[in-house]
Amino acid sequence: MQMLFLVLLFAAVHAPAQTGERARAILESKCMTCHGQARMSDFDMRERATLLKGGKRGPAVIPGDAKSSLLVKAVRHEGDLRMPPGKDRLSGEEAAALAEWIDKGAIWEAAGVAPSWWSFRKPVRPAVPVVVNQARVASPIDAFVFAKIEEQKGKPAPEADRRTLARRAAFDLHGLPPTPEDVDAFVKDATPRAWEKYVDRLLESPRYGERWGRYWLDLVRYADTSGFETDHFFINAWRYRDYVISSFNNDKPYDVFVKEQIAADEIWPMSTDLEGTLKLPEEKQKNLNRRIGTSLFTIGSFPIEYTYYGDRFRAEWRADAVDTVGAAFLGLTLNCARCHDHKFDPISQRDYYRMSALFAGSVESEIPLGSLFDVQTSTRNFPLLAHAQALKRMAGNRGANRTPEERAAVLQKLGEAYLRAPDRMATANVLDHETPVPDTHVLIKGEFKNKGEEVAPGFLSALHAGPAIHEPDSDLFIPRRRKALAEWLTSPENPLLARVMVNRIWQGHFGDGIVRTPNDFGRQGEAPTHPELLDWLAIEFADGGWSIKQMHRLIMTSRVYRLARTGRRLDADALRDSILAVSGALNLKMGGVGVIPPLSKEEIQAARMPQLWPTHPDPAEHNRRSIYLQMKRSLTLPMLQAFDAPDTSASCPRRETSTVAPQALALMNSGFTWAQAGIFAARVKKIAGDDAALQLETAWRLAFARTPDETEAQTALDYLRRNSLERLCLLIFNTNEFVYVD
Amino acid sequence: MSIDSRRQFLQTSGLGIGWLAALDLMHGAQSVRPTAKRVISLFMQGGPSHIDTFDPKPLLAKLNGKAPPESFGNEDFQNGKLRELAIMASTRKFQRHGQSGIEVSDLLPHIAEKADEIAVIRSCFHEGFTHSQAQFLINSGWPRIGRPSLGSWLLYGLGSENENLPGFVVLLEGGVRSGPAVYGNGFLPAEFQGTTFRPGANPILNLRSAMAREEQRDMLDALGKINQHHLSARGPDGELAARIASYELAFRMQMAAPEATDISGETEATRKLYGMDNAVSADFGGRCLLARRLVERGVRFVQVWSGNGMNATDWDGHIECDKNHEAKAAQTDKAVAGLLTDLKSRGLLEDTLVIWGGEFGRTPTTDGGVGRSLGRDHNPYGFTVWMAGGGVKGGQVIGSTDEIGLRAAADPVHINDLHASILALLGLDHTKLTYPYQGRDFRLTDVGGKTELAERLRRG
Repeated sequence: MQMLFLVLLFAAVHAPAQTGERARAILESKCMTCHGQARMSDFDMRERATLLKGGKRGPAVIPGDAKSSLLVKAVRHEGDLRMPPGKDRLSGEEAAALAEWIDKGAIWEAAGVAPSWWSFRKPVRPAVPVVVNQARVASPIDAFVFAKIEEQKGKPAPEADRRTLARRAAFDLHGLPPTPEDVDAFVKDATPRAWEKYVDRLLESPRYGERWGRYWLDLVRYADTSGFETDHFFINAWRYRDYVISSFNNDKPYDVFVKEQIAADEIWPMSTDLEGTLKLPEEKQKNLNRRIGTSLFTIGSFPIEYTYYGDRFRAEWRADAVDTVGAAFLGLTLNCARCHDHKFDPISQRDYYRMSALFAGSVESEIPLGSLFDVQTSTRNFPLLAHAQALKRMAGNRGANRTPEERAAVLQKLGEAYLRAPDRMATANVLDHETPVPDTHVLIKGEFKNKGEEVAPGFLSALHAGPAIHEPDSDLFIPRRRKALAEWLTSPENPLLARVMVNRIWQGHFGDGIVRTPNDFGRQGEAPTHPELLDWLAIEFADGGWSIKQMHRLIMTSRVYRLARTGRRLDADALRDSILAVSGALNLKMGGVGVIPPLSKEEIQAARMPQLWPTHPDPAEHNRRSIYLQMKRSLTLPMLQAFDAPDTSASCPRRETSTVAPQALALMNSGFTWAQAGIFAARVKKIAGDDAALQLETAWRLAFARTPDETEAQTALDYLRRNSLERLCLLIFNTNEFVYVD
Repeated sequence: MSIDSRRQFLQTSGLGIGWLAALDLMHGAQSVRPTAKRVISLFMQGGPSHIDTFDPKPLLAKLNGKAPPESFGNEDFQNGKLRELAIMASTRKFQRHGQSGIEVSDLLPHIAEKADEIAVIRSCFHEGFTHSQAQFLINSGWPRIGRPSLGSWLLYGLGSENENLPGFVVLLEGGVRSGPAVYGNGFLPAEFQGTTFRPGANPILNLRSAMAREEQRDMLDALGKINQHHLSARGPDGELAARIASYELAFRMQMAAPEATDISGETEATRKLYGMDNAVSADFGGRCLLARRLVERGVRFVQVWSGNGMNATDWDGHIECDKNHEAKAAQTDKAVAGLLTDLKSRGLLEDTLVIWGGEFGRTPTTDGGVGRSLGRDHNPYGFTVWMAGGGVKGGQVIGSTDEIGLRAAADPVHINDLHASILALLGLDHTKLTYPYQGRDFRLTDVGGKTELAERLRRG
C-alpha cells in the first residue's frame, strides 16, 4: 500500500502536466491488480491497444471522448458497472485526471510495470525500527510494536505478573491450565532464563500438538463423518488427526507439512522393489506416514449417496480441494471464483479451474499401512470380526420383533464387539491416481453439466509462475500435478504461504492476527495493522527453516506478549478439557479412533438415528481430550456446540466467541459439569480434608493456581456454610476467571 | 453502526437478542412496511405430494400406467429417470372449497375448509433432489451445511420481542434428515441459532437445574459477587459484563420457558381444536399449540416439524405414497386448520405468517426403486407451498406446474424468490440483509431472489 502511495505522490508532484503518467499511475494502483496479468473479464490494461479494446463489456476507452468511455462511467459510478469494487472508490480528483487524459487522446508510452495488491508482492525484510525507550525492547517484535505506539504517543501496558504469564502460556500452548506446582516453580525460579525455560518445557510436551493440531483441524474442516443424510463414517479420518498432532509435536517444518498434505505420494513415491514385503523398512514406513497427510482431501463434507457420482461428485470434490487449499494455505477466497471471476481479487474463473485441474486424476484410495506379509496374515483376525458380523445380523432383520430397548442392547454389544475385534489390517484413506486423467473444463456458473472452455493445470496468474507441469507420455506413469502445486506453494517466490501462517500463529497467541481476516488476504480482507512486522516474521519463519515452535519462542519471549491484557475466552475444546483437568478426571491417552462419549436422552434427540451412537464401553475414555472425540458432522456434541464449535462445512480460521444464555445453562445444569464438580470435590477433600478454609484454598489453587483473596474467601466460605463442596466446585467452573484467561 | 460495533453492542447487552433489537437490527435492510411480524413454519419433512394435495392434474388419469409423453423430456430423480418410469395418477378426490373455490384433495379436509385463508403457490422449484440437500435449500437457500437458516436471518434482521425466550424455536417430532445444522445459525453469531423446545416442563436442553430455585439463587448470588470482584480488578470489560448478565438471563429463562410450554391453562375446546383429543393427532397438535403460545410471547420464528427423519414416518411416499400420506394427514390436518382458526380468533393471524410445505413435492410417476409401483419419488422441479396470515391475501392460487405436475410452468418461484418474498413480507430487503463472511457479504438469497411473489401474495 505504502509503495503505491509513493508512486502516486511522485506522479502528483513531479509530473502534473504529464497526464499520461498520472493516468497510468492511477490505473496501475487501482485497476491493474485485476485488469493486468490476471485479465479479469478478459480486460487487460497493460497495453494501450488492449485498454482501448476493453473486455467482455466492449470498448473501455474512446480516445477524445471521456464522457462516453465506459472506464470513466465505471469509476464515476454513473452506470450499472461500478469500479473498482468494494471500498476503494477513486477520488474525484483521480477520476478527473483519467477523464482529462482520455479527452486528450489517451496517449501513453507502454511500460512493463505490474504492481499489485500488497499480499501478492513478496515480503521484503524490513529494517527493525529504532525505539526511543530501548529498555522496553526484548526482541525485534517489540521494536515494531512499540515504535508504532510511540509514534501514536501511546504507552504500552505494564508487564503481567508471573502467575498470569504461566497460565497464559499454558493455555496458549496446551489449551489446559498449568498445574499449581509448575506455576509455583516458575514463579520462584530466579535464574536468568526462567521464562524461556518455562516456554520450552511447554513446547516439549505432547499436549502442545493436541492444542495447535486442533487449530489446524479447524482450518481444514476436519470431521469423522461426511454429513448430510447418510453421514457416512470415515473410518480412517483419525489417522489424519493423529498425523497432524504428531507433526506439530515434532515441529515438522511447515513447508514439509504443506508438501506432504498436498502431494506426499508424488514427492516421496513408494518404490515397488521386494524390500519390505516381510517388514517395511524405515524409509517406506516414513513415506507411508507422510502420505497420510493427503487424507486431508478425503474428509470433506459430501452427500455420499448413490445419486452422487461421476461428474457431479468430481465437481464437488475438486471444488472442496481448491477451496480448502485457497483458505488454509493461501489465505484467499478462491471459492468466489468457482462460478464467475472473483469480484474483488485478481482470480479469474479460468484460474480457478486451472487450480482444479491440478487435482484431476487424483482419487481417494484405501491403502494398507503395512507390508505385504502384514496384509496376508491379517486374515487370521477374521473370526473375531465374524462375531461382530453375527451380532450385526441379530440387530438387523432378525431383530424385527425386539423392543427398542432390546435392540439398543444388541447394538451396544455390537459396537463393543467391533471395538474389541482387532483391525483386520491397518489402512489409511489417502490420495491416489486414476487413469486416464479426466479433462478439466471451466464449469459455467459452477454447474457440472455446463462445460465451458477446456483448461490445462496451472496456478493463479496474478502470482508467481509455477514449475512446468510435465505430463507423462503413457498411462503407465502417473502425472505429478499435485507435486507441482506443492512446489508452487512452498516456493520462495510465494508471497502468501509464510505470511498467512505466521499470522495464524500470532492470532493463536493474541486472539487477533496482524491481519484480522486470517483466511482473506485479498482486497475484502483487512489490511495488516503492522505490515512490516508481518513481513519480518514471515521472513524469519521461512529463513529459519519453517519451524513453528521457533515462532512460538520468538513471539512469547517478546515483551509485547508479556504485557497485561484483557482476558480471552477459552474455546469449546479448551473449556471442556480444562474442566476435566481441574477435576482430575482428564485421561491423557493419545491417538486412535474417535471416542463417542455418552449423551443424555435429551441431547441425543437431535440425532436422526439415536441408536447409532455406540458409546465407548470404557468410561475412562469419555474423559479424553476433546480432540479425540468423534466429530460427527450431523451432530456436534452439545457441550462443544454451546461454546461455538466449528460446523466443519468449510475452513474455520478462528472460533467465534459468543456469550449466550445456553452457555450458562450448560455450565450450571448439564450432567457433565455436575459429574465433574463431584470428582473435583472428591479431589479437593482428599487433599484438604474437612477444613473448609483449606478446601477453599485447595480448590482455588487447582483451578486458578493461586489462593483466594479476602473477598473471595469470605464469599465462598459463606456459601459453603449453606452448601456442599460439590456445589462450590460447580460454582468455580462457572466463574469468569475459569472461562476467561488473562 | 458497523457490524462489529453492533455485534459488540448486542453481546454486551446480555443475550444479544431482545427488545433492543428494535433499535438498529434491521441492518439497513428495511424495505417496505412489513405486513408480518413473525413466522410459523409448518415443515412437512419428507416432501408431501403436491399432485395428491393442492395441485390436481386430470391428465394423469388419462396417462395412468403409460410412459410420460416425450414432450416432457427427461429428468433425474433419486431412484430413476423420468423416461424409464410410468405415470401414476392420483387416487385422491379433488373438490373446490370456500368462496375462492381453491381445489384441495380429500386428503386434507380440515385445511380445505381454510381455502379462503390460504394462498397456494403451485410453482415452487429448486435443484436438490435428495432430502438433505433439499432441506438445506429450503431452509437456508444453499444445498449444504454452513449457511444460516431462514429463522436465523429473520432473528438477525428483526431481533426477538421477548428477551427471556430464544427468538427462533424449533419443535421437532424426532430426528432431522440433514441434521441440526438445517436450523443452525451458519456463519451468523450463536445468538441467532434455532433452539429446540420439547413439550413439557423441561423444554430446553439443560434448562432444569437439579437445585431448588432458592439454592440456585444462592449460587448465582455468590457467583455474581465473585465475578463482579474479578471484573472490578480488571476495569470495564464488555465481554465479562455480558457473561455476568447471561447468567441472570438464563435464570429468567428457566422461569419463562416452562411457563410458555405449560398448556395446563388451555381450555378443552382449544385442545380439541388442535386435535389433541385424538391419540393420532395429539403430538403434532400439541406442538402447533405450543407454536401459538410462543409467537404470542414474542418469539420471532417457530418451526414445527412433521416427520421424524425416517422414510416410513416422514412424508416420504416411496413405497405406498397414498397410505403414507393418509397417515401423515391424519396426524397433521386437524391441527394445521386449528392453528389458523386459533391464531385468527386471537387476532394473531393478521401479522403472523404461516408457511406450509416440505423440502420438495413428489413425482407424477411411480418410484424407480424395486417393488415401489405405488410409490412416488422426490420432485424438486415443481411443488406446492402455501401461506396464510401476515398480510397474505387468502383464497388465491399462484403459478402452476406443467400438465403432469413435473416442473414449475407459469410464474415459477425459485427457492431464492420464495425467501426474498418471505423477507419482504416481514419488511426486509433481501439484498440488504447481509453478513460479511469469507471475504464478501452473504445473504439468504445468494445472488438471486425476486420479490414479485410478495406483492402478489399481498394483493391477491
